[in-house]
Amino acid sequence: MAAQAPSLWTTFRRNTIRSFAAMLRQRWFGISMLLLLAAFILGPMLNVLVWAFTDARIQPPRLVPEQWSLKWWGETFTRLDVAGGFMTSVGISLTVTLVAALICLPASYAFARMKFRGRTPFLLSFLMVNAFPRFGIYITIAVVFFRLGLVGTVPGVVLIQLVNTLLFMIWIPTAAFQGVDRSLEEAALDAGASPLRVFVQITLPMVLPALSASLLLTFVGTFYETQGALLIGIPNVKTLPVVIITLINHHIRQLGAVLSVALWVPSLVLLIFAQRVLRGGTLAAGFGL
Amino acid sequence: MALLIVYPAALSVFDTLTATSADGSTRFTLESYVTFFQLPDALPNLWFTLRITVVTVTILFALCFPIAYYLRFSTSQLSVPVRFLALFPMFVPGIVTAFALIRFLGDNGWIENILFSLTGWEGWVSPIAKPQGIVIGLVWEGVPVTVLVLTAGLSQVPNHLIESARDVGANGRQVFFRIIFPQIRRSVMIVLTLNFLGVFGAFTIPLLLGGASPQMYGHYMANRLYGIGQYTHAQTAAVIMFLISAAVGTLYVRSVVNQRMEKGE
Repeated sequence: MAAQAPSLWTTFRRNTIRSFAAMLRQRWFGISMLLLLAAFILGPMLNVLVWAFTDARIQPPRLVPEQWSLKWWGETFTRLDVAGGFMTSVGISLTVTLVAALICLPASYAFARMKFRGRTPFLLSFLMVNAFPRFGIYITIAVVFFRLGLVGTVPGVVLIQLVNTLLFMIWIPTAAFQGVDRSLEEAALDAGASPLRVFVQITLPMVLPALSASLLLTFVGTFYETQGALLIGIPNVKTLPVVIITLINHHIRQLGAVLSVALWVPSLVLLIFAQRVLRGGTLAAGFGL
Repeated sequence: MALLIVYPAALSVFDTLTATSADGSTRFTLESYVTFFQLPDALPNLWFTLRITVVTVTILFALCFPIAYYLRFSTSQLSVPVRFLALFPMFVPGIVTAFALIRFLGDNGWIENILFSLTGWEGWVSPIAKPQGIVIGLVWEGVPVTVLVLTAGLSQVPNHLIESARDVGANGRQVFFRIIFPQIRRSVMIVLTLNFLGVFGAFTIPLLLGGASPQMYGHYMANRLYGIGQYTHAQTAAVIMFLISAAVGTLYVRSVVNQRMEKGE
């Protein structure tokens, strides 16, 4: 059936309705949503920001301090517990990222490229981490660690934090490897390149953005992870977030404020860099989409 | 994987279902469950946890669906900051969220001071250390994942499908319920189940923003775990949690599997 051109009136009416709806969607709806989100999401963060840059308490009903000061930044970071927590966190996060990469990257290459029996069930088994309430899993792991004497040790914390990283480190790289156009690799092989050379010069550059994104997410996610580290780490191993918990009700509010700002500003920077990855739907792969 | 998740979970199930008799043999018993539910706070805390979970999941969906819808269909420049703000909490650790919300919503926080300065109203009651505090904190944390999954789901609805429906005269409501909704049913399912499991198993926010009683199960289990000789209680609570969430977890996995099968895996 030949498509019939819509009459002038239909086109006019449709465009009017559409542009009205579009205006409503884009202007008022968009602006009010932006303001609401900004107040809800950014409000608490900015509130903490002003607390981090004042010497004395902010006297209500003032919103910002009368005098700004950097005094507490020095005071906070020279505290022994904070410096120690920072070093512990860096060490543990690097270890977790490295171990996760060593286990998961070869595995994800295999998942993407090889057809073996049980491939799909095995890949789906990683979803189990999401399919149970996370803290319930942690509790049952903690009981095992109690018996093994792993509670309060660095290896214990590393192991429990690995649980968090597995899904992202398997699914995102698997999706990336699957996305590589095989014909490019075959062409290079035909032209006489060695398999290793093909991998380094053809495959790797194409998956590198997704791989680095998943590595970065693993590192940051581990650095910020609180519940597993708290549950398994006490009383000896204290990562930075665990140290902050002890400072949260400290009578000097600036300590917690400085540390909060020191943690959320890097997240903001990270988000700016991760925008491209996030838009591409790479991250959604980590939730099973 | 099996070592880190299946074995500990199975061990807890086994531990809570058996007891060692005087002669050293192991027998099947439901004793730990009976004792557990005789604890005065076990059942009230469970109801409390379920209530908070349902309320939080509902608010998250109601709040994030319009945002995701806007991000999918808007061509305006405004969608860039909207997306940015919606994703921002993803990388903020729970402890920072808690501290910031205490300053913002708590006594003498910005909200109270702004309301007072603008209207002279002094009636602000801080939600911190109350159930409302937990819900607000969990909603704050849950926005990125909810928006991300819903946007990904909506972006699978092809534009031409919507346009052709409009061309044959479908109105906005028809387009939504007949065209868009059937296509995103799975993403909606994924996001609801994912949020249910996330909130049900939350720990940091309930610990820091909630009151002393009633407690959410994450908080409650952790207290039990370190109580002397009480970790069977923690294990029992964990197994009960697994049972309740098993149905939801199955729905989640099934939605993901179906989703991937459609994409031709």
